[in-house]
Amino acid sequence: MGEKKYWKSFVDLKSKTLSKALKQQEFSYETTQDFHLNQLDDISRRRFLALSAATVAIATTSCTNYRDKGSIVPYNKKPENVLPGKPSYYASTCTACSNHCGILIKTREGRPIKVDGNPDHPLSRGKICARGQASILNLYDPEKIKKPLKKEGEKFTEINWELAFSELLTNLNTASNNGKEIAIVTKPIYSPSLAKLMSEFQKKFPTTKIYSYEFLESYAKFNAWNKIYPNSEIPEYDFSSAKIVVSLESNFLANEGNFVKNIRQFSEKRNVDKLKDFNRLYSIEGDLSLTGANADYRIPLNPACHFEFLATVLNEMLTNNFNRIQNKNFPSKDVLFLVMSHNLEQFSNKTGIDKKIIKTLVDDLLNNQGSSIIVAGDSVQEDVHLLAFLVNEILGNTKVYKQKPKPSIPKSSLDDFVQLTKKIQNGQVGAILTLDCNPVFHFPKDFQIKQAIENVPFSCAFSEDINETTWHSKLILPINHNFESWGDFCDGYSFFSTIQPVIEPIFGTYQKEDVLFGLIEGKLSSNAFHKFLMNFWKEEVYPKSNSGVEFEQFWFGVLHDGVFPHEEQENLSFIPSYNFIYDWRPLAKESDWSLVIKKPYFVGDGKFLNNGWLLELPHPITKVTWDNYLAISENDAKSLNLQNGSIVRIEYNGKSFEAPVFIVPGIAKKTLIIEAGFGRKVVNIIGQNVGFNPVNILSKDDLEKGYILHNINISATGKNYKLASTVEHHSLNDTFIKDLHKERHIIQEGTVDEYKKGKLQIKRSKEHISIIPEIKYSGVKWAMVIDLNKCVGCGACVTACNVENNVPVVGKDQVLRDREMQWIRIDTYFSGTTDNPSLNLQPMLCQHCDDAPCENVCPVVATNHSPDGLNQMIYNRCVGTRYCSNNCPYKVRRFNFYDFRNHFANGYFYKDSLKLLNNPEVTVRSRGVMEKCTFCIQRITEVLFRSLANGRELKGTDVKTACQEACPANAIIFGDMHDKNSELYYWRNHKLGYFVLEELNIKPNVTYIAKLRNKKSKEDV
Amino acid sequence: MENSDNRLEKLYAIGALFKDPNKIVSAVKRIVELGYKNWDVHSSYPLHGIPKKMRLKWSPLGYIALILGLTGTTTGLFLTWWTMSVDYPLTIGGKPWFSFPAFVPVLFELTVLFASVGTAIFMLFIIFKFPNNQHPLHDTDYMRKVSVDYYGILIEAKDVKFDVAQVKNLLNEFQPDEIHEITYDEKEVSYRPKVFDVKFISFLIIVGLLTSAVAYLFNNKILYSPPFDFMLNQFRLNPQESSTFFADGFGMRKPVEGTVAKNQEYYPYKNQPEEAGEKLVNPLLATKESLELGKEKFNTFCSPCHGWRGEGDSRLNGQFPNPPSLHSEKVRSWSDGRIYHVIMEGQNIMPSYSSQLTEKERWAIILYIRSLQRALNAKQEDVQ
Amino acid sequence: MSTNFDYTIEPEVVEGQPKLRDINDAIAKPLETKPTWKYFIALGISTTLLLIGAICLGYSFYYGIGLWGNNQPIGWAIPIVNFVFWVGIGHAGTLISAILFLFRQRWRTGISRFAEAMTIFAVITAGLFPLIHTGRPWLAGYLFPLPNQHHLWVNFTSPLIWDVFAVSTYLTVSFVFLYIGLIPDLAMLRDRTQNKIKKLFYSIFSLGWRHSNRHWHHYEMIYLILAGFATPLVLSVHTIVSFDFAVSILPGWHTTIFPPYFVAGAVFSGFAMVQNVLIIIRKVFNLEHIITLDTLEKMNKVMLATGMMVGYSYGMEFFIAWYSGNPLETFVFVNRAIGNYAWAYWIMVSCNVIFTQLFWFKIIRRNIVVMFIIGVLVNVGMWFERFVIVVSTLSRDFLPTSWDYYKPTLVDIGILLGSFGLFFTLVILFIRNLPVVSISEVKAVVKGSQPSHH
Repeated sequence: MGEKKYWKSFVDLKSKTLSKALKQQEFSYETTQDFHLNQLDDISRRRFLALSAATVAIATTSCTNYRDKGSIVPYNKKPENVLPGKPSYYASTCTACSNHCGILIKTREGRPIKVDGNPDHPLSRGKICARGQASILNLYDPEKIKKPLKKEGEKFTEINWELAFSELLTNLNTASNNGKEIAIVTKPIYSPSLAKLMSEFQKKFPTTKIYSYEFLESYAKFNAWNKIYPNSEIPEYDFSSAKIVVSLESNFLANEGNFVKNIRQFSEKRNVDKLKDFNRLYSIEGDLSLTGANADYRIPLNPACHFEFLATVLNEMLTNNFNRIQNKNFPSKDVLFLVMSHNLEQFSNKTGIDKKIIKTLVDDLLNNQGSSIIVAGDSVQEDVHLLAFLVNEILGNTKVYKQKPKPSIPKSSLDDFVQLTKKIQNGQVGAILTLDCNPVFHFPKDFQIKQAIENVPFSCAFSEDINETTWHSKLILPINHNFESWGDFCDGYSFFSTIQPVIEPIFGTYQKEDVLFGLIEGKLSSNAFHKFLMNFWKEEVYPKSNSGVEFEQFWFGVLHDGVFPHEEQENLSFIPSYNFIYDWRPLAKESDWSLVIKKPYFVGDGKFLNNGWLLELPHPITKVTWDNYLAISENDAKSLNLQNGSIVRIEYNGKSFEAPVFIVPGIAKKTLIIEAGFGRKVVNIIGQNVGFNPVNILSKDDLEKGYILHNINISATGKNYKLASTVEHHSLNDTFIKDLHKERHIIQEGTVDEYKKGKLQIKRSKEHISIIPEIKYSGVKWAMVIDLNKCVGCGACVTACNVENNVPVVGKDQVLRDREMQWIRIDTYFSGTTDNPSLNLQPMLCQHCDDAPCENVCPVVATNHSPDGLNQMIYNRCVGTRYCSNNCPYKVRRFNFYDFRNHFANGYFYKDSLKLLNNPEVTVRSRGVMEKCTFCIQRITEVLFRSLANGRELKGTDVKTACQEACPANAIIFGDMHDKNSELYYWRNHKLGYFVLEELNIKPNVTYIAKLRNKKSKEDV
Repeated sequence: MENSDNRLEKLYAIGALFKDPNKIVSAVKRIVELGYKNWDVHSSYPLHGIPKKMRLKWSPLGYIALILGLTGTTTGLFLTWWTMSVDYPLTIGGKPWFSFPAFVPVLFELTVLFASVGTAIFMLFIIFKFPNNQHPLHDTDYMRKVSVDYYGILIEAKDVKFDVAQVKNLLNEFQPDEIHEITYDEKEVSYRPKVFDVKFISFLIIVGLLTSAVAYLFNNKILYSPPFDFMLNQFRLNPQESSTFFADGFGMRKPVEGTVAKNQEYYPYKNQPEEAGEKLVNPLLATKESLELGKEKFNTFCSPCHGWRGEGDSRLNGQFPNPPSLHSEKVRSWSDGRIYHVIMEGQNIMPSYSSQLTEKERWAIILYIRSLQRALNAKQEDVQ
Repeated sequence: MSTNFDYTIEPEVVEGQPKLRDINDAIAKPLETKPTWKYFIALGISTTLLLIGAICLGYSFYYGIGLWGNNQPIGWAIPIVNFVFWVGIGHAGTLISAILFLFRQRWRTGISRFAEAMTIFAVITAGLFPLIHTGRPWLAGYLFPLPNQHHLWVNFTSPLIWDVFAVSTYLTVSFVFLYIGLIPDLAMLRDRTQNKIKKLFYSIFSLGWRHSNRHWHHYEMIYLILAGFATPLVLSVHTIVSFDFAVSILPGWHTTIFPPYFVAGAVFSGFAMVQNVLIIIRKVFNLEHIITLDTLEKMNKVMLATGMMVGYSYGMEFFIAWYSGNPLETFVFVNRAIGNYAWAYWIMVSCNVIFTQLFWFKIIRRNIVVMFIIGVLVNVGMWFERFVIVVSTLSRDFLPTSWDYYKPTLVDIGILLGSFGLFFTLVILFIRNLPVVSISEVKAVVKGSQPSHH
């Protein structure tokens, strides 16, 4: 057709030759060739109509105006190393939880748009969790506090910073002058500079006392540890050196300890090419945790029996296998005396647990002394922890212990807080400052923190956004988000890391350190702490580096890398003391119902209850979004005739709360599991009416004992509640649809043993003969491999994808209608019995099939295939027939049924601060448009153009998709399937690799590596 | 037709009406025998056998339909082939560009469409020459009767054999129920509308205005108001876009003072020009492309003040004090590192160009300056 | 030869040998007399329904189709069901007017005009849904191969594009067919009416037809040709509609039996609808002697036959599902019978297969009330057939994790009602303003209307 006559847009029309011609002479030549006035009478009416039609046409087409496309606003003076359109990266440290992973913040034109791990960081090694990924949303949260708020009567009024600061200062002065205590309540402080600042602060205000705590802190574990290893720091575990892992009600793969590190170390030892050091995970739990889901052997066990279980195991070792124990120097008699009463026989009779499994477990432990570990979860009681530590000690597993980051200011005990409230009642406290924490929500009512804060003469809350604590404080100071602040972190042993701001405070706030420093100095200035920090490093840290360079360069380097390792690695040695054995405390007795309060998967200590991405991230096991619930086993639910969502009342020691139940297979008998951190009352619009708060049922002693309550009383209320799960749940007793995923070869798995012996048959459909010529792809062709052995289902990939690709939050009502928009989802398949199911997790995203069925049916070619093998969407061509989605066997296409940004939380995601959040490289889809995973095409093209500019060849390994970059387990591999010596090529042709629904002959391009469970072979048992 | 003075009546035909269809049959036979050409039979539904007896030519519509049908097929074939595999070929579901089986339904539909609609149009507008509401027969009693329950037969005046008396006799032979003389008004039939009557023109103008108004409203207003969404205004900040969020309106922000990005390199010789001069050495060789690069960047960033050849002849004619020439002894004696330092930190009123230029470009510029110096000085030597 | 059809007079086609003049009067009566209160009630009801539909549509156009029940696996639901349903209704019309014409079924003359009109109205109603069911209805233009700013053309391999061509062709051709048939009748009315405006209207649309036998000569030819084209066309249209499903890869959709199965179903439901409406018309405008009871009985026979074809297809689907040994296929069909949408499935079976068996009895075939009820049931059943095919299949596809259940919202229901409103409004307007029965055709078969000896 050559150059086309029709115009691309109304504006464009102006410039088109046709209309130019029309301007000169009103009618185009064809219309006017034989148009002579003197003949007018002869020409017919029809001809004249034609002419007039032409006039009208011209009149209409030429009446277009230029729509306002905004104005171009360049830099007045271009900052160094900022190129418009090119991202730049800043190394910093994440403060979303106390793990302080190293992060790289991606900025565009000086605006942060994405967070990823800092590869140079010794612990996180370039990976962060879902929470860290999503924390960027909190930076732009339009409902953050913008100005200091002063409580007058019942309501808050905005005041300016000078006023707020002077008010704060005077109050503190009066307090200290009257010798009244100034209580600073804060999260554990891992920042040496802040610790320094605090000590300065204490110099200025001598009556200052610091109370630091962590939500759902396992005091039981702490105490147990101090009993067996007095005066030594509680460690964490190095799973890369553990071949046998026994998890006792622990969820170390999801939210206990530095789980990002745990996942990495755990998955490293599940490499199907290194079967030699393939680890084995036993999970003994009442809950069905993500860790349990990944276990090779999972034993559901009522939490009341934890101690008995360990005792039985120990007994089994000492009585039947004593000579196999290498470590002889422990008071074996005393220990034996302890566990004598627990023999395997009666235990298995009582709990119905197969003796074989426990025998295997004991056997494994004994075979791997020094390279096995028993991990007791944070919710477990003290005596169980003790026993766990003891068994580890006996087996010489202390080798597996690694130093846990040590707070720069030691954490306070619960008694301190009891004291605090007492003192406040006696009026010994003059002022209380809460630094970016929410004690009112975190502590059970028993502690009466709320009353305390209200009764204190002056209370000031440093907080990013409103919460229960700010609500009761007299003064609220809005503080910077982590990405707007300076700071540092030290694990207390081996390395420092730095926090640097990547944008000026966007709501004109100050960082809390600035304010504190200002209080010392007597005047508030925004860059104060930056200087303080540098001084601190110059004096304290710089000397540690005996590198020749002067401080500027050193500091520059540290900020550049984000971390500064230094060799003070004290080698760990733990000297056990056994005297605790003699005053053994009685156990929790076998009881009716027990309730386990666990850490939430994504919302942390409840701070992230204002983060839509995290609330909509499906629960790894049940896929429930926007809520927490009481997990209950199917049989128990039947016995109480409860359905999903029927609200029950939990009573314990006269305290009670209500929450809906959700039936989860594999929950132990008579056991209820609930995650804390939900059910906040004072929170921004996102978190309102999200979940239920179980914390208030606890008392101080419970906190110290652990988070498992026995003798609780459960009663149905008859009320119902809608829980929004992204999948339908079917009973495992429904034989009609049971194990379909196995029959359809969606999930293929085997055991290590079968694989070793070559018995494992992976079903691959044979090459089909095609009557049509195949499309030949030359050059780079993209493909992905997902290793189901490594993937633990943490959900980091999902969040990373949301952030990278401007995926909207749809809200609970839409999830209830199954309209969630996540481009990648993690499918959970249950098989086995409802009492003890085995789980399979499978990340599912667009498979970019070569013969994509979605493409054939799109009437407007809005989806088609790119020369590099991508199944691509043309958003602005899509009319939204949804035919493609119907015809997609994986149902990975997502449709904008509404303009979700507008529909959700009355337009929250259209507040203009959130405009800065969206990735400028990715189209923001309107309603009525189909969307799906693009293999991060924006990243591909970026790399492509870079290599074109540098005249290099595009290599598959240069591109990393968002999910791949985020995956802590390195389970996702992306690259060029034609690149013979790439990692992708190797795995794509691995004998454990298979395609989902390959028999449809649509040629998907995401290879799944079949999961191997490390079970003992029949003969070994 | 009221005022009879300005009518010029003309006889169109003489027609006979019958109640009994059988009489028509015999009449037709007779008239055919007598060899009349322009005559016709009228009935409100098809009378069977009559066309045959009238010796009418066998209808060509069948062939027309065939031809049009084939046209439709070929059109479809061309459309599918050209759009899918010539104008904008795309890989769809791994199918070849021209996947014929998938196009068959379209071809079929087009065939049917062309054939049926085309034939109908052909019959009505080409064979029958419709619309024709000026025909003399309209509004005659003859027609009215025929359309109910009479059967009419008429012989037109323009027939060569036509003669009023004869025809009347002939028709009377068939014992008709009625005989009609059908006349028409010359003027009325040959009336041709004038183009420039006010009504018509004004009608055109109104149509024109209305269409323009509607089109304008639609193209520029309605299309860009909800719910219509073409994803033109993206809810994101593109480079160099203004932002309503920030007070200063800048969408692009400056990095915070004192932070260090990954792509940032450390410049150790801050305000130590001499050290820089000693320590720094030019990593680039004076290759053609590096000189090209240097020239380009020099002309962009340096020449406005230093002049095309670096002789300090500013193009900013006096808005700034002209800089000294780059060919002075001083500069010529400077080491590359020294000049590099000036580019990095600036001197006197010259600002730093570190942010505008990458390290490579800086060094390239220095190479170019060197070449300039050499060139100019060579000139001077020639003079002597 | 087409020019001499053998129309021997058949008493039961038009009862009581009316005079030709009477036929004119009888058929022209509704056009000339003032409408009765019955008429206005009927019109009132249908327009109310239409209004409800319009409002629901307006809402979903403005806020997005999130107002409907559709969700992630179930991308298609009630709108598409309606589309298939109404296209199906349309088919009976063409069948009666064209196919029966080719088979020289004289009894069709009484109802053919009406059937044709119904075809067009049904197709208009159906045609709406593909346009409004999209996420961005204002871009429906992209569905046609027109030059546009993307420089992209349509995807001719997509069944939806086949639909666009099939349905639009079907609409055009049926319209031409109807119009050609109307011309002589309009001419008749033109010559008959006294009213100036009406006369103008009739003159314009009758194009100056003069009842000339030189014209009738070609006229009969083209009628034959159009009938000849309409016949394969009507078969193709529902075949292509069935391709929407048959061409996809979903078990339960991807079936070769669909085209014949759909066509049979279409005729089935179409006849039911025509029968229902005719029963009302002949009562209201007392055309009993033209739309005779024998005609209705014949239609019931057709319904019986097609109903059994449909039943056969149901059985066949299960057989093939089992015989193919494809677990996915088997699962889907077992699921239909006992799964989450079993209720819909059994409504469909009982209405379409079981109740129609009553038509074996002559008494029932000739009993107006009973046949009316059965007709209604058949329409319900056929609507649910489409519902089962579309929704139940989508709700249980390959990956169990993407399964979900579909519940229609009020808006969905409103749009469904609206479609009925639109259809009946058009029908009711039609019977007031155009001859419901083809005058010339009826006249041609009245006793003594043709020359007895040649």
